Amino acid sequence: MAILEQGLIIGLMALGVYISFRIVDLPDLTTDGSFALGAAVAVRAVVSGLPAWVAIALAAGTGALAGSITGTIHRKLKINVLLAGILVMTMLYSVNLRVMGGPNLPVPRVVPERAIQSFEEMSGSTGLESLFEEIDIDTEKRESRRTVVAKNIFNNDLDGSDLTLIILVISAVTVVLSIALRSDPGMTLRAFGSNPSGVVSFGISQNVLAIAGLTIANCIIGLSGGLFALYSGFSDATIGQGMVVTGLASVIMGEILLGRVKLFYGLLSPIVGGVIYQTLLSLAMRYGYRIGFLASDMKLLTAVFIITVIGLRQLSSSGRKRKVKQEVKRLWSNSKI
Amino acid sequence: MVEFKDLTVVYNQGMENERVALKNVSLTIPEGQFVTIVGPNGAGKSTLLKVILGEVQPTSGLYIIDDKTMNCMKPHRLAEFIGRVYQDPNTGIFPALTIAENLIIASKKGNRPFRFSSVKEEAITLLRDLGLGLEDRIKTKAGELSGGQKQSLAMVMAILSKPRLLLLDEHTASLDPDSASRVMELTARINREYDITIIMITHNMEIANSYGERLMRLIEGEVVNDGIREILSRATSVMC
Ligand SMILES: Nc1ncnc2c1ncn2[C@@H]1O[C@H](COP(=O)(O)OP(=O)(O)OP(=O)(O)O)[C@@H](O)[C@H]1O
Ligand SMILES: [Mg+2]
Repeated sequence: MAILEQGLIIGLMALGVYISFRIVDLPDLTTDGSFALGAAVAVRAVVSGLPAWVAIALAAGTGALAGSITGTIHRKLKINVLLAGILVMTMLYSVNLRVMGGPNLPVPRVVPERAIQSFEEMSGSTGLESLFEEIDIDTEKRESRRTVVAKNIFNNDLDGSDLTLIILVISAVTVVLSIALRSDPGMTLRAFGSNPSGVVSFGISQNVLAIAGLTIANCIIGLSGGLFALYSGFSDATIGQGMVVTGLASVIMGEILLGRVKLFYGLLSPIVGGVIYQTLLSLAMRYGYRIGFLASDMKLLTAVFIITVIGLRQLSSSGRKRKVKQEVKRLWSNSKI
Repeated sequence: MVEFKDLTVVYNQGMENERVALKNVSLTIPEGQFVTIVGPNGAGKSTLLKVILGEVQPTSGLYIIDDKTMNCMKPHRLAEFIGRVYQDPNTGIFPALTIAENLIIASKKGNRPFRFSSVKEEAITLLRDLGLGLEDRIKTKAGELSGGQKQSLAMVMAILSKPRLLLLDEHTASLDPDSASRVMELTARINREYDITIIMITHNMEIANSYGERLMRLIEGEVVNDGIREILSRATSVMC
């Protein structure tokens, strides 16, 4: 059950990767950063006493912001999208440390009741204000020491409530996305992915579409980062490491499993792929030691998986070409006889 | 009306691979004219179209439409009234979208609001007129069509987008003779019925000699012949 829950959250992240890599066809590497940003922001929000659903929304919003920055750097400054993604990802590493105020931040069990106030303190109210506040600091302090139970949306009870919640979120995202992709602007987004310069002939700006695509992708990735952190009860600086690769592996896994079935514009395949990937991963973690695998080998394995699948696709197409060449040669020599 | 005044385009100016693609070209193309441009490889034909589309900035000289200088207009703004179909059938359509979706995209110009449009009757009629049976397959992915079918679809899309000016760069070059003449008939019809100005580049002299009213020859970035096609083609046939 826990694997399924985690797999679904990873699948949601893979859905974001699917949007950038497949639908708008931009290899966006912001992912690692925006996933971690979502995680950091969500936990920070809960620590500050905001309700968990607001935390999740903030995670999605900041993810979207990160994506729009990558898109803007890429389109307006004409920086290659790979580099733009790496730059933003690198910036986010520092940003995330600041958001968390350290290398990691656990989701607290209790938060101060007047936490909103302490949030303001953290976010740096001016010295002048605090001078005035100093007057009744005693009552304030006493009040802020009163605590209540932090309401996480996840209880980690494996009673099915977490699973239901995750499925609800994912269904909502998928339904909204597939409706949006069917609409006129969504159609132009898909058009852009299949022929980027072609949209210009119909008076549509490539900049708007590229930025929109990356914003939506990273919004979903930030959302899944937030869910992931609240679900696992913490956020840390390396939480997003290797996420692009994991997402891509899930996308490819989904494509292998669901093949040409393109329900909802193929939006389901990365989610299914994410679940399967996570399952295989935990199996490998559990039984892999027997053949000498370490948990730390997983990133290597994931990347090798991607290379193998893409390599096999390539080989099979060049194999077909070779066959055709042989066939041509055969017919040619026959006709000479 | 499209005008060029003393237009010069130099690629990689100041570098050692500097290349003059157009040299002091001055032209006036009135509304509704069908111009055919011929000339050897590297003559600067495609460059001229790129200037019109705003993809290449003139190094000097003016590019004018209706008395307004267009020199530094953004490509997607120019595209609001300019259509184009190029040689590669995959550039004029959106392969991952269905025929229906391609037609919907073509029917409107510019970034669009959140709405769910369906295919216009006009689009289906145009498709039916092609006689390729595409109107019964509008749920098919455009990427699955043949080159000639794609190019025909691209032409229909260009008409639907109601451009004032249609640019064609060897748009029949990758087609078999039958498809090519079908697409050429459609081209002539677009000019006649919709009164769209057409600038067409071709290497096919048969096409150059039978379509369009004005024939222009470009060599090494300069216009060397420019005149009414009938007179020009008669003149060349006398010489040969
Ligand atoms: N992006 C570019 N950078 C540098 N030089 C270019 C570029 N595009 C074209 N040129 C040069 O400009 C000249 C004109 O090119 P253009 O593409 O306009 O020729 P063309 O008449 O369309 O030829 P073809 O019949 O082969 O299509 C050529 O010498 C070409 O090498
Ligand atoms: Mg050319």
